[in-house]
Amino acid sequence: MTLLTVEGLDVFHGDLQATFGVDLQVAAGEAVAIIGANGAGKSTLLRAIIGLTPARHGTIRLEGEDITRLSCDMIARRGIALVPEGRRLFPSLTVEENLRLGSARARPGPWNLEAAYDLFPAMTDFRHRPAGMLSGGQQQMVAIARALMMNPRLLLCDEVSLGLAPAIIGDIYACFRRIRDSSVSLVLVEQDILRARAASDRVYCLLKGRVTLQGASGEVALDAIRAAYFGEAAA
Amino acid sequence: MTLLAAVLNGLMVGGLYGLFGLGLALAFGIMRVVNIAHGEFIVLGAFLGATVLAVTPLPLPVVVLVVAISAFAMGWLMQATMLNRLVGPNPIPAMIATMGLSIIIRNALVAVYGNNIRAIDIGPVQNLGIEVAGVALGVLPLAIFALSVAMFLAVGLLLRHSTTGRAFRAAADDFEILETLGFNRRRVYALAMGLAVTLAAVAGLLLAVRSSFTPFSGIERLLIAFQVVIIGGLGSLRGSFLAGLFLGVVHVVGLSLNPNVGPLFGHLAFILILILRQADLPAILTRRGR
Repeated sequence: MTLLTVEGLDVFHGDLQATFGVDLQVAAGEAVAIIGANGAGKSTLLRAIIGLTPARHGTIRLEGEDITRLSCDMIARRGIALVPEGRRLFPSLTVEENLRLGSARARPGPWNLEAAYDLFPAMTDFRHRPAGMLSGGQQQMVAIARALMMNPRLLLCDEVSLGLAPAIIGDIYACFRRIRDSSVSLVLVEQDILRARAASDRVYCLLKGRVTLQGASGEVALDAIRAAYFGEAAA
Repeated sequence: MTLLAAVLNGLMVGGLYGLFGLGLALAFGIMRVVNIAHGEFIVLGAFLGATVLAVTPLPLPVVVLVVAISAFAMGWLMQATMLNRLVGPNPIPAMIATMGLSIIIRNALVAVYGNNIRAIDIGPVQNLGIEVAGVALGVLPLAIFALSVAMFLAVGLLLRHSTTGRAFRAAADDFEILETLGFNRRRVYALAMGLAVTLAAVAGLLLAVRSSFTPFSGIERLLIAFQVVIIGGLGSLRGSFLAGLFLGVVHVVGLSLNPNVGPLFGHLAFILILILRQADLPAILTRRGR
């Protein structure tokens, strides 16, 4: 059963076109990785799906319902949550206040404060600290937990590994298994090809706003990904 | 008026000044709207209260409540119908719109009430006094001061412990992310503006119980609100409160020394603070010590 269907999506930043006719599907329970270099249009695609940058052409459907023209808050309440690039916690709120805002307009579901602290036990130690005073890895945990508090059907994660130490990236990625077990589907935007492939069922490669490759994560060859990533003719 | 009585009166007025500043700071902090009509809402609160007191038998506390509710509705409407269309990275359009609104409100007040200087007469309560430790204190100023403290505390509780309050603070930090958490930004903004205008109008009414006002008093009150925000800082309730008290005491003590100077001493104190803030105090002090 298809959870998210994106068809022919054109998104613009002002006059600048960022994506060209992007098609994308995410099945219920699936984890999809979107990989590509800087400026490939990955973040823009996520912003369009959650309604922060409305698409100019094309349609976005969530379980068959057309959500292309809905406002961001309505889309969020229908079950799409975003872990934004750069974490973007509310710095003047404490960690727990950040989480509570995540649950204030949430759908019913298994994720609550208790479950969030259970997912990242380290958060308990700094739950009352202002979110602006955390390390990058700590911020990333809170950003993921905050989005989960919405009890989304689909979780969009934008470059969760950016700027983090490898050991911490491992910890962060370990949580995705438990998130999937709670029947949340995932879209992982990444620059790290290997990690993205390992954590996903299928991959899409974006190059200059176009899908240049897609396939099952276990089947697409690294060479093909590399070619699609950098735009070289496939060897 | 003895100096002590002047200081106490200044504190009472200052609590209200603090509320003027708090409303302005909320609107700017949360939605980056510089509400030029803030002073007119302060005066509108006074006229509205005076009218309700004159045409109904309601006691002052109930009138305060009536004004608060109407002011909330006005702020909400202003944001929902007008300012929400103008929010964006550029703060100038909202500034121009509220400046236009201030002109409209001012002239509407002149058209309805005329140009005369007015005062609110609430009867014998006005002169009721009690004596504490040998100092005569008015019951009314005390009650007004208590109410302004209570309003500061209430706003503090709201911001810290309610979902709406957390959403206000989060909107000030990053409204896009707030939307991704399912909050309607425009609704949050309308609530915040409702609160900001409520603070202005209620404080305006309470000030009018103690001093005179005209349809043109708004600009003076707006100036005070700006001074409170600049001295007290944007993000701090305590800063607004203390800055308001400071300006209130300077105004009233200045007036008791020389009744003809108006707000001169307040403005001088404000400029003095700006200069002191610029000055490199540690460097000056060490040079002197040498």
